[in-house]
Formats: sequence, C-alpha cells, structure tokens
Amino acid sequence: MKPWAIYGITQRITETFEKTKENIKSVSPIFKKSLHIFPIDVSNDNELNFEMAALATPQYNIHRFGIFFTDSPRHTDILFVLGKCSKKMIEPLKETINQISEPFGIIIIENKFDLGISAEELNLPNVIGYYDKKLEADEILSVLLTIMEDRQ
Amino acid sequence: MRLLGVIEKSDKELLLIQDKDKFFTADKNERREKFDNYSVIKNRDISIGNGKTQGEGVFNFRYGPVTAGVAEAGVFNIYTYGERILSVEINPTYKKREIEKQMAGRTPQEALQLAESVCGNFAFSHSLSFSRAIENICGINIDETSQRLRIVALELERIYNNIHVIARLSKGAAQNVLTSHLEWIFEEALRINKLFCKSRFLKHLNAVGGVNFSSFGSLHEISKRIGAVKNKFKELYSHSLKSWNFADRLYKVATLTQKQALSIGITGPSLRSAGVNEDLRQFDKLYDNFQTAARSEGDALARMENRADEIVNSCSIVISQIEKIQNKSLQKKEAEVKDGAGIGFCESPSGIIAYYIELKNGLLDYAYISTPSVFGFKAFADVFVGYIFTDFSFSLDSFGINFADCAR
Repeated sequence: MKPWAIYGITQRITETFEKTKENIKSVSPIFKKSLHIFPIDVSNDNELNFEMAALATPQYNIHRFGIFFTDSPRHTDILFVLGKCSKKMIEPLKETINQISEPFGIIIIENKFDLGISAEELNLPNVIGYYDKKLEADEILSVLLTIMEDRQ
Repeated sequence: MRLLGVIEKSDKELLLIQDKDKFFTADKNERREKFDNYSVIKNRDISIGNGKTQGEGVFNFRYGPVTAGVAEAGVFNIYTYGERILSVEINPTYKKREIEKQMAGRTPQEALQLAESVCGNFAFSHSLSFSRAIENICGINIDETSQRLRIVALELERIYNNIHVIARLSKGAAQNVLTSHLEWIFEEALRINKLFCKSRFLKHLNAVGGVNFSSFGSLHEISKRIGAVKNKFKELYSHSLKSWNFADRLYKVATLTQKQALSIGITGPSLRSAGVNEDLRQFDKLYDNFQTAARSEGDALARMENRADEIVNSCSIVISQIEKIQNKSLQKKEAEVKDGAGIGFCESPSGIIAYYIELKNGLLDYAYISTPSVFGFKAFADVFVGYIFTDFSFSLDSFGINFADCAR
C-alpha cells in the first residue's frame, strides 16, 4: 500500500451533492461563503449526535462548501439543538446561547420518540428552523446550504 | 458469576446475576457472596467514579456538558493538580430521561419504542433484549429466518459502532487520512443499514415475536457491500498499525487489568481485551463456529485491536447468515401477553445489555435495564487515574461508551 499522503489522494471518495429545498429562514447575507456550526446535545438518544458525526464524513465533504464545525459555541454561526431537553440541560443550553455572538441562528431538531421538554417551548431567541422529525446527514447539509443562499 | 443489576422493589432488593448464558434474579439477603461492583450499580444514577480528591493545589477540572471534546450531555469532574489525574467522578444525570419509569403502565409494543430510544447507536441491541424478555415471559418461539435476520442486524450495529470508535481514536491521534477513510466506511455502514431496514440506526426493525422485514430483495446487495467494507477496512487497518505515531499513542494507555475488569463487571470488547474470553454469542447455535477475538494486554491499543478483529468477524457473520437465509417468508406471531417476570439479554457492541421485565394485566408493571456503559464509565474512571488529560480521548473512546446508554 502507498504511504498515507499518497493513499489519501488516490481515491475520490467525495460525492457530488444535490441539495433539496428546505424550509428555513435566512440569518444574514454574511454567511454566503462560510458557515460555522456547533451542535449541542440536550439529551437526545445519540442518534442525532451520530448524524452530526456522519455529516463530517468525506462523502459530504462539507468543507468544500465553506461549512466547518467549531470547538466552542462562541465561534459558531449556527447552533444545532439536538433532541428534547432534559430539565438539567435547560440552563446549560440558555448559557450556551448567551455566549454566541450576533448574528447567529438556532436550528432545533427533535426525534419523535425523544423524551423531555421540546426546545420550542423554551422561547429561545433567533430560532430559524424547527424540525419535529429526525434529519439525516444529507438533509442537514441541505438545510445549511439553504441558509448560505443569499436571499435577502 | 457477575452482578449486572440491583432491582429495588418496595421493601425487597433483588440482584440481577449472570453466569455464562444463565441470567437470573436472587434475593440479596439469601446470597452469601459479595459483589465488588454492588455500590457502583446502586449509585449509577447519581455519580460514577472513584471519589473526590482534596489537597494542596488540587482542583476540579469540570469537563462538560457543553464542549466539543464530549459529544454528549454529561460531566466529567476530573481532580488534578495540573498534570496527572488523581481521581474522576462522572455525572450522568444531565441525560437522565427516566425511561424505566416511563415504561411502566405501557403495552409491550409501546415500551419497545422506548427501549429503542435509550441509546440510538445501540437501538437494535436494546430492542432485542427487551423483546427477548417479553418473549421469555409469554413463551413465544421465533422462526429461524427471523432469528438470522436479528443476528444480521446485531452484527450491522456492531460494525458501524466499532468503526466509529476506531475513527475517533485515530482522530484523537491526528491520523487525518486514516480518519477520513474510516469515516467514509462509517457512513457507508449507515447507508447499508438503511438499505437493510429503512433506518440508518436499525430502528423499527425488531418486534415482539419476530421482525418487521420485507427487503429480501436487497440482501444480495447488502452482502456485496459488506464484503467491500470488510476488504477496505482490512487494508486500512493493517496499514494504520505501521504508523508508530498512531500505535504509540494507544500503547499502554489506560490499561485495564483482568482483575479490575472482573471486579468492575465490565463486559464486551473491553473485557475480552483484558484476557477474558467471554462473549454471549458463543452460546447461540445459529452462530456457526463462532470465534471470539481476545487479547490480553488490556490497554487502549488492545481494545482497538479487539474491535478491529470484531469488525472483520462481524462482516463475515453478516455474509454467512445472509447466505443461510433460505425461507423468504416470516412467521411473525401475535403475542398473547401473559403475566409474569422475565429477563432478556444480548451482546451489544460494548457489552451485555439485559432487561428485567414484569408484566401484569398485559402491561409493563416494572422494568430494569442493565447497560454496559455504567461499567464502562467506572472502568474509564479507574484506569484514567495517573494519566494526563491528553490521554482523555484515547481512554474514553476506547471503551465505546455513551451517556445515553448509561443515564437511560
């Protein structure tokens, strides 16, 4: 087998992506070329966390669109709230939102069978999208690409 | 003999015990032997770890619940003076959903949905253990095709979970090319799951009394794609161990000795990599000539090697089980619900999941879930002591444990 540096470029593993139209509000035209995202788990059953991990796989290659995961909510443009909220996660969620700089947007994704308080009931600011069904990695990418379209 | 759970009902305390493939409950007052992990199980909903450390310069480094380093909502209270870790206390309560309490008063079909919601990446294992408990109570026998399809699903779950664990380990060691290719296999495995049962996480496939399966036409393609995954993984993995940068980061990190592993009651790949060759699949006759992959070193590298061997084994099992599915029709039996108590179990990707269920008037009266992550977190807390924070991801990820599974 070839050394890693060469092996890495011998196979094309990124796929062409066809975006579907998603119902989501735009945040700001400044995200046209770059969008940073941070997912917060508010006690989902891990399925949505794994979909987020799948979004980072080379099939989607989100970096080519200018989309990046951040390590801190302070650097994020879009906060993904994953799942229904347990009582103990309400305060950490609100404090996380408090730390994000403007402009930012919040997307709530809940699984139908998750247990807890719906984040929609928490009156969170700047909610640009709410999904009461699980989204798969390709659907999440379509949502992000729709946000990046300059529609203002 | 291993203690898996402590069932507290009114004034009685029952112990959920495993002895090879025998699972039973026993009154605590009638048992002579003491189990080392009794207090870990009793306190599993409050805190798991090895206590708080105090002293000059010692502080609590609180890691979580919102950080990129921990993907889930949970808190690690790490006591250190700045370099070596002195003790760890893990707080799983941020993810507590009281699923066992919510199961009470529901029909088995409704409770099955809740069992799948305990931990999405172990959804099939939870669902299978739950339905086996109900089937034991009601005396339902499952036809061979359904049993083989259950084995295929269980192994598909093992494949994507183990690949995810190894991808996280390689990401922690900054092996970017290897990580990208492993992540490609991870997404491919999720797509194969969807082709198999229309769900990327194998949900809604299992049912009490059988499986809801109709994709017999896709089995050939699934077999082909799993074969390709197996070959690609073998090629990548053998090459990855040639990189000393990678192997050195895992070698002798977070070593779990055989004595510790047995005392904690941990099961699955973590136990097998500590030199104990135990696997519930050995007792299932439908797994022909099943060979466990065991190691003896007990460190993070051994745990990764064990999972890598299991990926290859699981791919072979999926292919051989699909070949053996002759009958393309399923005999799903409508369950006649009877009153009583029963235990269901299976070997999940990270160890034994066991359900103790009591049925009364056709509804669940009581449920107790024993999950492998409880023991995994205790093992992590114990082996992480003495290492430095840089070893955190190697120590934690090598156990393949989840807060969702632990907190329920």
